[in-house]
Amino acid sequence: MNQLWVTLRPHLPFMLDGFLLTVFACTLAIIGAVLIGALMASLRTSGNRIVRGVAFAYSDVFRNTPFIVQLFFFFYGLPEIGIYIGAFETGVIALSIIGGAFVSDVIRSGILAVDQGVIEAAKVSGLSRWTIFTKIVLPIALRTSVRPMGSVLINMVLTSSILSTITINELTGTAKIVASTTFKPFEVYLVLLVLYASLTYALSLLINTVHRRLNRAMDTGGAA
Amino acid sequence: MSNTPSENRARFGVPEDSMVFARGVRKSFGTLDVLKGVDIDVPKGSVACIIGPSGSGKSTFLRCINHLEKLTGGILLVDGAFVGYDLRKDRLYEVKDNELCQRRAEIGMLFQSFNLFSHMTVMENLIEAPVHVRRVPVEQAKSEALELLARVGLSEKVDSYPRELSGGQQQRVAIARAMAMKPKVLLFDEPTSALDPELVGEVLQVMRDLAETGMTMVVVTHEIGFAREIGDQLIFMDGGVIVEEGNPREMIANPQSPRTKEFLSKVL
Amino acid sequence: MRYADFTPYDLVLLAQGLGVTVGLFTLTTLVGLLIAALFTLVDYYRVPVLRQVIVTVSEALKNSPVLVQLFLVFFGLPAFFHINMTPFVAASLTISLNTAAFAFVIFRSGIDAVEAEQVAAAKVYGHSRWQILRFVLLPQAAAFSIGPLVGLLVNQLQVTSLISVIGVFDLTKIGNILNLRTLEPFIVWTVVGLLYYALAKLLASVGARIEKRLRRSVVWEGI
Ligand SMILES: Nc1ncnc2c1ncn2[C@@H]1O[C@H](COP(=O)(O)OP(=O)(O)O)[C@@H](O)[C@H]1O
Ligand SMILES: [Mg+2]
Repeated sequence: MNQLWVTLRPHLPFMLDGFLLTVFACTLAIIGAVLIGALMASLRTSGNRIVRGVAFAYSDVFRNTPFIVQLFFFFYGLPEIGIYIGAFETGVIALSIIGGAFVSDVIRSGILAVDQGVIEAAKVSGLSRWTIFTKIVLPIALRTSVRPMGSVLINMVLTSSILSTITINELTGTAKIVASTTFKPFEVYLVLLVLYASLTYALSLLINTVHRRLNRAMDTGGAA
Repeated sequence: MSNTPSENRARFGVPEDSMVFARGVRKSFGTLDVLKGVDIDVPKGSVACIIGPSGSGKSTFLRCINHLEKLTGGILLVDGAFVGYDLRKDRLYEVKDNELCQRRAEIGMLFQSFNLFSHMTVMENLIEAPVHVRRVPVEQAKSEALELLARVGLSEKVDSYPRELSGGQQQRVAIARAMAMKPKVLLFDEPTSALDPELVGEVLQVMRDLAETGMTMVVVTHEIGFAREIGDQLIFMDGGVIVEEGNPREMIANPQSPRTKEFLSKVL
Repeated sequence: MRYADFTPYDLVLLAQGLGVTVGLFTLTTLVGLLIAALFTLVDYYRVPVLRQVIVTVSEALKNSPVLVQLFLVFFGLPAFFHINMTPFVAASLTISLNTAAFAFVIFRSGIDAVEAEQVAAAKVYGHSRWQILRFVLLPQAAAFSIGPLVGLLVNQLQVTSLISVIGVFDLTKIGNILNLRTLEPFIVWTVVGLLYYALAKLLASVGARIEKRLRRSVVWEGI
């Protein structure tokens, strides 16, 4: 154990950089995914069939193809059409796009799950469509969506490790380098696995807190 | 501008004191004819009770009154005016959303399932519509809400959330919420059907108090006792038409139609 | 051959890659479900120690990136235990365990859902715990589980694409090769993506059919 510590210690600052890059990339991508997801979810309620179809196809296609294929599509494809952005930017964009596909489904089912009776009660008291959406439907949908949204976000963090395949030295990328320079792949990857598990565990604690805060008012059926 | 009460009164022969006036109201869902010509007069300040078997179209009729459902045919006026339409040169035009909201605000409705806003406190439930629709200042809306809560006996629940209340309390809050809009008429769709038997009384008591203050009410209910005691008229619907109507006490004691007789024998 | 055009042989390559992907997916699904069933039994009979180990391992698998798991098995295990490990074995082992971890949770909640309402009733008649599992819980838990299970497998199919990173010649790896050779990324990755998409849709529709059938049989048993 002590031996392992001595071996790994010089590499920790490097891996800390990787960790911070993972956090940075995920933060950006989560913001992007929520924006894209909200947009797509609202497009899916559009009156125009084509708009609805496009929004549906978006989430269908990106949910049913591997992220690594999407990532390579953008990473190798964008320069072909004269778009030269760095690997990091490409990775964040790709992660936002696939995250947006999942987020849009979460938001959509959250909205559809709002009790029609409650919406009707709002209607009969004369509230406008906009007020009903922003003050009744959205807040209720938000509360029931915290957990499913949380698992999407956790999945995005886990998925971000794939960014290492396009030369981004985020957490997995730095670990790969440390594993090969120290000749201790087992120990390094085990530590890495524990690091990711701790990160997602911390995230799930945060999600639970948010869920409890938001749902103090509401009976959500006693979900643990 | 058409669709003014005075014009409609002259044109359709609406009585001066009419609050809800229906003539030949029809409603179909696709090929299913749910309402097949319903006529009703509810004078201001009176209580009309509608009874009838499940599926006879009672809810649909109530929902037509505040334009939750569009009419297929007939005339339906509240306080002498169409709710969801404007009448211009013999054609009915649907009104804009904004206008519909303003007109709906004058017609309160209570549901079997209460339908309180689950993410808001009792107080927030009560001031939401007054502030956004009637544009009452928040402070004023709050003090009005407190008065209403006192009337339904729930002053101490002002900061509770709906799930912390019993069904009977929730329905009383829902009634207070409807009253906060100062409606001309209140529609009740089986307000006590979802309640445990021991909670029915407290809601009926609140409704009784409302009736005594002269509130105009249209109540779909299975509480025959309530209809007999409070109702000014009793309407028996079956198969999308009104089979019989009249004074509740007389009708219950001596129903004319065999269908009414059969129905009453089941619910009494 | 750097800027080489597409050749008819590329179709053969793609078909081979597709075959490896489908083969490995099928293998890991069968093994994974089997392991998950064993895990579920251990959990159902509350086997001490083993049960805690299983729960911990499956939590670790669910909460870490599959890529890291692959690296751990493919690079880590051979270095630490001085054993041989081919990319295919490492991939099969990792994906099987990963599928098992998620399927275990699905099975367990399927059983919990049925157990809560039914076991109390069944116990009255003196059934053993095995009889309850076999005749009461399993048929209905299967119906409960099949929907989430199909969702999981559609997802695991995408996950298999990661085995290309440790050198298995699956569909994605073939995509890599064609991409580097032809420098036509849009065409290559669109075709590869479409193949995965078609597989996913096929899987989902088969799953929906099975689910329909299972649900029908449960309704019938309930009469
Ligand atoms: N939105 C709708 N679409 C189709 N059919 C409906 C709809 N609403 C009500 N109905 C049908 O209209 C009939 C009358 O329903 P309702 O007015 O709810 O009856 P009641 O309230 O008297 O029980 C029923 O047969 C019901 O199925
Ligand atoms: Mg009804």
